[in-house]
This record gives sequence, C-alpha cells and structure tokens, in this order.
Amino acid sequence: MSIIRAEALIKEFVRPKRHTGRFAAVRNLVTRESVTNRAVDGISLEIEEGEIVGYLGPNGAGKSTTIKMLSGILVPTSGSVEVCGLVPWQQRTTNAFNIGVVFGQRSQLWWDLPLDESLNLIGRMYRMAPEHYRRNREMLVELLEMQTFLGTPVRQLSLGQRMRGDLAAAVLYEPPVLFLDEPTVGLDVVAKERIRAFIEQINAERRTTVLLTTHDLGDVERLCRRLIIIDHGKVLFDGPTEELKRRYAPHRLLDIVVGSDAIAQLDSFFTDLPPHLIPVSHDGMKATLAVDPVTTPLPAAIAEVSAAVPVMDLGVREPALEGIIREIYERREVAP
Amino acid sequence: MQSLFLCWHMATASIRGQMQYRASFVIGVLSGMFFQGLGIIMIWAILDTFSVIGEWSFGEIAMLYGMRLTAHGVYLIFFSSMYSIDDLVREGGFDRLLVRPIHPILQLMFTDFRITVLGDLAGGLAILIAAVNLVDVHWTATNTALIVLTVIGGAMIDGAFQMLPASLTFRYIESMPARVIFDDVFSRFGNYPVDIFGSIATRLLTFLIPLAFVAWLPVSLLLDKPTFLPPWAGWLSLPVGVVAMAVALWVFVRSSRAYQSSGS
Repeated sequence: MSIIRAEALIKEFVRPKRHTGRFAAVRNLVTRESVTNRAVDGISLEIEEGEIVGYLGPNGAGKSTTIKMLSGILVPTSGSVEVCGLVPWQQRTTNAFNIGVVFGQRSQLWWDLPLDESLNLIGRMYRMAPEHYRRNREMLVELLEMQTFLGTPVRQLSLGQRMRGDLAAAVLYEPPVLFLDEPTVGLDVVAKERIRAFIEQINAERRTTVLLTTHDLGDVERLCRRLIIIDHGKVLFDGPTEELKRRYAPHRLLDIVVGSDAIAQLDSFFTDLPPHLIPVSHDGMKATLAVDPVTTPLPAAIAEVSAAVPVMDLGVREPALEGIIREIYERREVAP
Repeated sequence: MQSLFLCWHMATASIRGQMQYRASFVIGVLSGMFFQGLGIIMIWAILDTFSVIGEWSFGEIAMLYGMRLTAHGVYLIFFSSMYSIDDLVREGGFDRLLVRPIHPILQLMFTDFRITVLGDLAGGLAILIAAVNLVDVHWTATNTALIVLTVIGGAMIDGAFQMLPASLTFRYIESMPARVIFDDVFSRFGNYPVDIFGSIATRLLTFLIPLAFVAWLPVSLLLDKPTFLPPWAGWLSLPVGVVAMAVALWVFVRSSRAYQSSGS
C-alpha cells in the first residue's frame, strides 16, 4: 500500500486572456476570453513508505503544483490523489497531521514571532502532549543547532537559519510524510550539508517518507535513490537514480593525458580509433574516450590505449548526474 | 474546548508579535479613538443645528452610534485579516493556512488578532455607555442582555458582510472594491435611524443587507420607538448574525477551492 498515490492528476489554471496593442486595457476589461494553462498534465505516481524521492524538472515543469495538490493547498482539476489514505483537499485538516511541508521560497512560520514561539504554537496546533513536545523540540534544537537564534523573530533570521526553523517546524509533530520544495535553495555549502544530513537522519530514524524538489543535484546524489523527472506536467522518468545513469549514460569515460612529445601519437591514434572506443573530446595532450563496460571490459580498453600511446595519466569516470539531467531538460524527453 | 484553548494561544501569540512594534500599537489605538471621536462630533454638530434627526435626539442617536461602533470594534478584533486577504491570496501566503490542522477561518481570526483596534472598541463602548445614561434607558438585566447580544450579533453581521465579498479574492484576486462597498454602506447608513432614508431603503437595509439589526431595531426597542416591524424584531440581531455568518462561511470555504496559490 503506497503512502502517496496520484493517478492521472491534472491541474489547469484559467486566466483571463491579456490583450496587447490598441485599447488593450479596455479590451482586457470587457472580453471574457480566457487562457487555460495545464500545469500538471496526467501525472501518476506511487511512493512507498520510507522512500526519499527526488522530484525534478526544469522551472515551470509543474513540480510545485503537484506538491501543492499533494499537500491539500490546491484542488486538482481532475484525477485522484491520496496521502496516507486521505484525499488531501477534502480532508485537509486531518491530512495536515500526516504531512510536514517546507517551501524554500516562503516560510511557513509566523513572521513577527520568535522562532521558539512559532514552534510552541505548532506543538499546540498539532495537539502534542507537553512532554512529547519538549522532547522533540530539544532534539531538533540540538540537531539543527538552533540554540543561538531561538529567540529571534523569524523575519530577522538569515536564510539558512530560517530554513532550519522551517524544517524543525515541519517535522516537530513527527508527520509520516514530508514535502520539501527546494529546501536548499540559496544556501551556502555548509548550510546545504546540514540540511541534507538532517533529512537523511529523519528518514533513517523515523522512516519518514520524503518527496523533495530541488535544482541542486548534490541533494539528489546525496539523498535520493529514486527520481521522478517531469516536464510540461508529464512524467519523463520514474525509477532508481542508478537506472537513469545506466539507461542514459551507460558508458564509462576514460580521461587520457600524454606528454607534450606524444601529441602527434595521440592525434594519429584518434584518427583511426577502433569502433568500441568512442571519441568524446580531444585537445592537445588531453583526450576523453567513452567505453561501454558491458561489451568492452575496462581493463582491456585501458590496455589497448596504453599500448597505442605513452599514457602519462589515466582516469575512469562515471558520467555525472548533472550532465544527464541537463541533457534531459534540453531535449525535454528521456531516452528509451 | 481544546480548540478554544488553542484559539486563545494563537491570539496571545499574535498580540505578543504586534507588541514588538510598540509605537505602531499606540498610534493604532489613538487613531482609532480619534477617528471615532470625530464621527460623534459630526453628529453632535448636525444636531446642534437641527436638534433632531427623524425624531431622534442627540442622546438617542449617540446610543445608536455607540451600539454600531462597539459591534464594529468587536468585528475588527476578529476580522482585521479581511483587510489584508487580497495580499495573502495574491502572494500565496494563504498556503500556510491550508497546511495546518485548524480551519483557515479560525487561523485568520486568531493569528491575525488585532489589538490596535482596541481604540475603536473603547471609543464605541464609551459612547454607548455615556448615551445610555443620557437617555431614559436603565441597565436592567433585560436591557443589558439585549445590548450584549446585539453587539455580538452586530459584529457577526459586519463580519459576514466582509467575508462574503472577500470570497471573491480566490477567483478575482482583487476583492477590495467589493468589501469597501459594504464597509461604506455600514458606516454611512449605520449611524442613523435607518427609516430616515425612506421606506424602500429601510426594507433593503433590513432584508437584503441586514444593517437594521446591527443597531436601529434593537435601539428602537430599548427606546420604545415604533418601526415598521414589531418590537420583538429588536431581539433578532444574534440569530440574524448567526445565519449571515453561516452563509458567509459556506461561501468563503466553497470559494477557497478556486485558490490558485502563486508560482513556485
């Protein structure tokens, strides 16, 4: 039984059509034409308890809209959605107990209240027993290192502090599901790492299910064993991160460096490569070859290259996720 | 019971938040009292020249004025958030209310619990109490009950007729003009005996927009003045308020399904 389930989910936004040119303002006022924009176009997904799933897509792909439907903020135009067996927009207040939400772009805390007071109010809203509240608050303050700014009004916190506060507020009442919409956006390296470690720990200790949108593939590499990639409101890929790499970039990359005296030798080797060694780049003393490890064992390939040219340095790389994602976003489709 | 306790906590937290801006708090209270004081001086100025408005003396009008103002003050404490609902919806801040396990209306009422409007409330109460002593009305148990119930009912009628137009914000983002219309009707017509505006307006302001129940009908009952309705209609403020509020709540919740949030 999946903890998050969406089927053929569609969300359309209807906006009045904007005219341009002559008398545009008047025409905007009197005409009733509208433009329908389908932000989510038939998304189906199932997420099991305890998973951390990366929900990726270029800007405007429909990530936030999906998350808002899963958290009960938006009512779907059609399709069905269920979180912990509840329909979020219909059973909104009950659903609220099951989910924690962090929107990186906007705080869910009370702007004028000190962080501690926000946490207290959330503890009461979620009807936590005082003992339970105290224990969780203490644990979170320590884990997220919030001691120094607990008394500061939220509006005066730095972005990193605010994000930690938001995360603490989202997991305080131990919801089984966590929706994180760009939780590391705009943070420095250290702050990012702290947030990632925290998400990892909460997932490991409480088996919290996490759905995470991000543009930082560091988040994905670190946390997500499964990815769902969407664009134009449709799912492009849904599967293990490893499978995406395998399917998309099965090759290993061989970086070769030769001495300056062997440039000519490298050149001639590259003009007449055997078919199982695929040229990627070649520039003076440096070159990169791609090899499919299934058909060509890596040691054999390395031996072949070493025999042909006097190699000074040699490295084997797995293609980075970043390149794969970039290619998908650019082509707007996933290779079969 | 538990949710009452929670509302109390939301309200006190909200007050502590506002207390951070102490100057703004003082200015808010003083300007409220100043504004309402000006209103009553206006009426006094008119009555000083004409001595009666539709057979109502200054003390009697002041009672009407105090009654409506007190109800309005109570309304302001709970429903000040209606004034900023357009921004909340346009900028997507309404999201926050939808992911919490409390009804969004309760959150609007109590997490935006305004005390800067205490000036309006204090002004209204002062005028009401002074007026009761000016005219021939005594603080009997029945009269006190009528006044208290009317203030509560009046606040609910006021709130309902702000919440109804505010519902438009979910579809049209801008609901301010619609709210201003009702606000205007209440503050322009509410401070006078409604029947001075003619019989059609009286019926419209009784059955369409039940402004007559906020002050005119109950005060007429207290002062033993005849209206086009039987005297017991003066007791109907609370029931009318409850019904208006129930309808407004239903409309508001239905309309909120059209909420579109904001990008990202």
